[in-house]
Amino acid sequence: MNKRLRNLTLLLFFIPTFFIKCSNKKKASKKHSIAVVVSTLNNPWFVFLAETAAAKAKSLGYETKIYDSQNNTALESDHFENIIVSGYEAILFNSTDANGSISNVLKAKAAGIPVFCMDREINSIEAPTSQILSDSYSGAVAIGKYFTQQLHKKGNYVELLGIVGDNNTWARSKGFHSVVDNYPGLKMVAQQSADFDRNKAMEVMESILQAHPDIEAVFCGNDGMASGAYQALVSVGKADKIKVYGFDGAEDVITSIGENKIAATGMQFPKVMAETAAEFADEYIKGRRDFPKKIPVAVELVTSKNISDYIAYGKK
Amino acid sequence: MTANNYKNNLNKFQSLIALIILCIVLSLLSNKFFTASNGVNVLRQIAVNICVATGMTMIVLTAGIDLSVGSVLALCGAITAGLLKNGWQFPTLDLFVGFTLLGAILCAIIIGAFLGFFNGLVITKFKVPPFVATLAMLTIARGFTMLYTEGHPISNLGTSFAFIGAGSFIGIPIPVWIATVVVLIAVFITKKTKLGRYIYAIGGNENAAKLSGISINRVKLIVYSLGATLAAIGGIIVTSRLDSAQPNAGISYELDAIAAVVIGGTSLNGGRGSIWGTVIGAIIIGVLNNGLVLLNVSPFWQQVVKGAVILLAVIIDKIGDKKE
Repeated sequence: MNKRLRNLTLLLFFIPTFFIKCSNKKKASKKHSIAVVVSTLNNPWFVFLAETAAAKAKSLGYETKIYDSQNNTALESDHFENIIVSGYEAILFNSTDANGSISNVLKAKAAGIPVFCMDREINSIEAPTSQILSDSYSGAVAIGKYFTQQLHKKGNYVELLGIVGDNNTWARSKGFHSVVDNYPGLKMVAQQSADFDRNKAMEVMESILQAHPDIEAVFCGNDGMASGAYQALVSVGKADKIKVYGFDGAEDVITSIGENKIAATGMQFPKVMAETAAEFADEYIKGRRDFPKKIPVAVELVTSKNISDYIAYGKK
Repeated sequence: MTANNYKNNLNKFQSLIALIILCIVLSLLSNKFFTASNGVNVLRQIAVNICVATGMTMIVLTAGIDLSVGSVLALCGAITAGLLKNGWQFPTLDLFVGFTLLGAILCAIIIGAFLGFFNGLVITKFKVPPFVATLAMLTIARGFTMLYTEGHPISNLGTSFAFIGAGSFIGIPIPVWIATVVVLIAVFITKKTKLGRYIYAIGGNENAAKLSGISINRVKLIVYSLGATLAAIGGIIVTSRLDSAQPNAGISYELDAIAAVVIGGTSLNGGRGSIWGTVIGAIIIGVLNNGLVLLNVSPFWQQVVKGAVILLAVIIDKIGDKKE
C-alpha cells in the first residue's frame, strides 16, 4: 500500500514536469530569447555584468534569463543543457574556466546556438562566435608601472592574491610582477591569498602588519580585497602611510580614490563588454555572421589624477 | 559523577595543551607572534567565530548541528546595514521608516532569532534531521541575503556603527568584549541552569531525557534560536568591522564553528563537551590562521596544515577517550 502510494506520487510529480518542459519549448520558440550564463552572482562585479547584459538584451526586445554557475563548471554544464533544450537563440557567456568551459560552448555550437563570451576568455578559437574580453594582464602592467613610479622604485610591499585556482588571479599577478620584478629595490615581503574576499583580506592584512609593520604599499588582485586591506590599515592608524592598489573599478574603491584613500585601481568595463555582447547576439539573430573572434577591452588605470572621468564600472 | 568531572577536565586540558604547544612553536618560528599587539589582533579576529561557535556548542551538545549560521550571519549583517543606511520602504504603502543604530541592530537580532526558531520548529515538529533542516536554511538565508542586497555590498555605514567593530575599551577591542559576555552567559546557562542540564541530558540520551519529563522540543527550540541569535550578533560585528555588509559574507563560517567545537573536545554525538573547550578550539584556529600568515606560508600549504591540525586534535581527543 505504502509503496503504491509512493509510486503514485512519483508519477504525479513527473507527469507535470513533462508537460512543463514541452510548454516551455513552445513559448520560447514564439518569442525570441537570449540566455545569460554568469560564473558567479556572489560578487557585485559579476552581478553588474550579468544584469547589464540581460537589461541590454531586454531593451533589444528579447526575453532573458540569468543562469548563475556558482563558480562550478559542472553546474554550468547543466545550465547549457537546459538552455539548449529550452530553445534559446543565443548565449551571453561568462565562463567559469578557460579550458573546462570549452565543451559546454561546443555543445551549444552543435545545437546551432551562438555563444558570446564576456570578460573571461575561453581557450578555443572555433567554439565561441565572438569573445569580448577584459585585458587583465595589460591592466595589471599599467598598475605595476604606476606602482613603481609612486614608490620611487624602492620599498617593501605586500601582494594579496585572489582565489589561487582562478585564471584572473594569475593574469593580474603576472602582469604586475612583469614590471615590478625588474626593480631590485622593490621587495615583496609577503604574498598571501585572500580569496577575492573583503573580510578575509582585512584579517590577512592585520596579521601581515604584525610581521611587517614597515611596508609601503599593498597590491590587491581585486577591489574587494583593496577595501578590506584599507580597513585593516585604518584600524592600526597607517592608512595615510601605506598605499593600496586594487583592480576592478568597483563602487567603493572609486569613491575611496576620490577621497584619496586608495591609490589606484584598474578600471574594467563590464558595461561595455555586456552591451557589446548583447548587440552582437541581436545582430547574429538578424543574420550577421562576420564577427571578430576576439575584441580586447582595455583596462584603464584610475588614480586620484583622473578619477573625475570615472564612475563605478565605467566612464562618466 | 566525580569520574565524569575528571574526564571533562582532562578533555579541556588536552585542547589547552595543544594550544600551548602551538603557541610555543609559533613563538620560536616568528619573533612577531608573541607580542601584545598580535595577541589583541588574534582575539579581535576570532571574536566572531567565538560567538558563532558558542551557539554551535549548545546545539551540538543536544546532538544537533546548525549549518545555516554563515548565511544567517550574512543576512542579519545585511539587514543591519540596509536598515541603518536606507531604512525600510513599504512596497505598497507610501510609508518610509528610518532606523536608529539600536533599532537596526535589534531588528537584525530578532530576525536572526526567528530564523533559528524556524530551524527548531522544522526539526522538532516535522522531525526533519537537523543536518537537512539547517542545510535548507543555509540556502534560503543566502538567497534572501542576495535578494535584500541585490548582490551588491552596502557600505559607508557611519562612525558610530563602525565603533562596534573597530573601537576598543581599556585597550581591548569591542568585539572581544562582546565575545567575552557571550561566552560568560553561555557558560552560566550550560553549567548553572536547568536549561543547561537539560541540554546535556538530551544529548546524552534523548529517550531517557524524554522519560524523565524534559520537554525536548522546547529545549531544542531555545537552543536553535540562541544559535542563530549569536550568528546574528556575529554578523553585526563582521559588518561593522568592514564598514560594509557583503552579500557573500560568512561563507563556510559554519565549518570554522564546527571545527572550533570539535577541536575543543565536544562530541558531535552530543552530551559531552563544554563552552570553554570551544573557546580554546576557536583560539587554536585563530592562532593557526595568524601564525601561517606571519610565517608567510604559501596559501596552498595553509589549507593542508589547517586540515591536518584539526585532524590531529580530534585524534588526540579520541585516544584520550579510549584510555579511560
